[in-house]
Amino acid sequence: MATRERPVARFAPGDRVTVLELGKAGHIRTPHYVRHHSGEVVQFCGHFLNPEDLSVGCTGGPVIPLYRVQFRMDDLWPGYDRHPGDVLVIEIYDHWLAPAATATH
Amino acid sequence: MKGYHDIGGQSAGEIPKVELPWMHWEKQVEAIRNLLGDSTRRVISLDELRLGFESFGIEKYSKYSFYRRRLEAMIDTLEHKGVFTREEFEAEVAQARARWDACATTSEVGHGDA
Amino acid sequence: MSTHDHDHDHDHHEPLVVEDDQGNQEGQLLADALQSLLARKGLISAGEVMLEIQAIESPGLHLGAKIVARAWADPGFKARLLENGKNGAAELKIKVGEAQLVVVENTPAVHNVIVCTLCSCYPRSILGQPPSWYISKAYRARTVREPARVLEEFGLTLPAGVPIAVHDSNADMRFLVLPLRPEGTEGWSEDRLASLVTRDSMIGVAQPLPATAA
Repeated sequence: MATRERPVARFAPGDRVTVLELGKAGHIRTPHYVRHHSGEVVQFCGHFLNPEDLSVGCTGGPVIPLYRVQFRMDDLWPGYDRHPGDVLVIEIYDHWLAPAATATH
Repeated sequence: MKGYHDIGGQSAGEIPKVELPWMHWEKQVEAIRNLLGDSTRRVISLDELRLGFESFGIEKYSKYSFYRRRLEAMIDTLEHKGVFTREEFEAEVAQARARWDACATTSEVGHGDA
Repeated sequence: MSTHDHDHDHDHHEPLVVEDDQGNQEGQLLADALQSLLARKGLISAGEVMLEIQAIESPGLHLGAKIVARAWADPGFKARLLENGKNGAAELKIKVGEAQLVVVENTPAVHNVIVCTLCSCYPRSILGQPPSWYISKAYRARTVREPARVLEEFGLTLPAGVPIAVHDSNADMRFLVLPLRPEGTEGWSEDRLASLVTRDSMIGVAQPLPATAA
C-alpha cells in the first residue's frame, strides 16, 4: 500500500514569510487580500489534506503543512492607523509561502 | 481571478444584526452532508460543497440564502458525480410535492380578508 | 485620529437573503426529495438523518461557556487549553469535531475577534450554528480591515491603547475567544462564571456580562 506523501514543514514560528500569488483557479483557501504580503509565522498547525485537491474529489494527495501567519494591519491596508499593534492572523498552506526577502518591508 | 466569495477587505455597509431561526430543512441539509461526508461514505466533502457554491456564478450565489446555497451545491455536486441524474431528482421532487399537497394546506390566518 | 474617508461604508448596504414562507417550503421540499432519493440509493436512512439532526442541534453556547468558566477558575487548565484547545475541551468531556480548536485569550494587552472571510467557518461542534451576521457579507468583508469600527457597531468600544488581533478562520483550525474575566467575580463557582459568558464574547464582538448580571 502506498504511503501518503508528507512534505516536511519548511517554516517555523518566528520565520518571516511572503504569501505568493500562485495564479490558480478553483477552490482556494488563500484570500486575495493577503497575497503578496509578508508576515510572521506564529504557529505550525500540522499537516492536512489540501482543500484544492479535496474540492475536486481527490483524496489521495499529500498532507501539507499549515501555518498561522500574522500580518500587521498597517502593512495590509493603506492608511490604517488605529494602533501599530493591530494584527491579522490567518492560516496559510505551505505551498503558498516563500521566505520573505531580507529587504525591509 | 478573484472569486465572488473572496471578499475580505472589501467595502460593505452595516452589519445586519438579525437573529434567524434555524429551520428543520436547514438542519436536514447539514445532517445529510455530514452523513454523506463521513468516513463510511466519503461521497461529498465540505470542500466539494464549497467549490459547488463558489461555482454558481454571482447571480445564483446572490439570490439564495445561506442554507439554500448549500442544498443547491450538494444537489449539483451529487449530480455531477453521478450519484443521481437530474431527471431522477426532479421525479423525486414531484413525488415530494404530491406528498406535501396531500398532507398540508396553507393556513388562512394572517392572509388579510378571506 | 483617522479622518472619515470610509464613509462609503454606508453606500454598500447589502441585506441578508432570508427565506420567506414559500422559500422555506421549497427548501423543505427539496431537502425531503434529496433525502428520499439518497435513501432509495442506499446511501443514507431517515433514521440516521434524525440522529444526526439531534447531534448537530445539541451543541451550543453552554459548552463554550463551560470551557471559558473552567479556564477562568483554573490557571493550569487555562494553560493547557491555550496550548491545545481540543485536548483542553476533552478534559471537560466536550468533544471538538473539527481538526483543532485554537483558543485565543483576551488580555489587557490584546483583544481578539474571529471571522471567516471566505465562508462561515465556526466551531460548530461546541457552539452550534453561527449567527446570521457572522455569515453576512458585511461582517466577512469589514472585520479584517476595520475591526474597531465593526466592534463599535456591536456596541463595544475598546480603549485606544489595546491592540486588536483579528483571526481569519479560513482553513482547518477553529477559534474560540477566551474573554477577559469580569471584575468582582473572585471565588465564584464555575456555574456562576459560565452564566456571564455570551456567544458574542466568544466570537470577540462583545465583552462577557458584568458581575452584576449574575
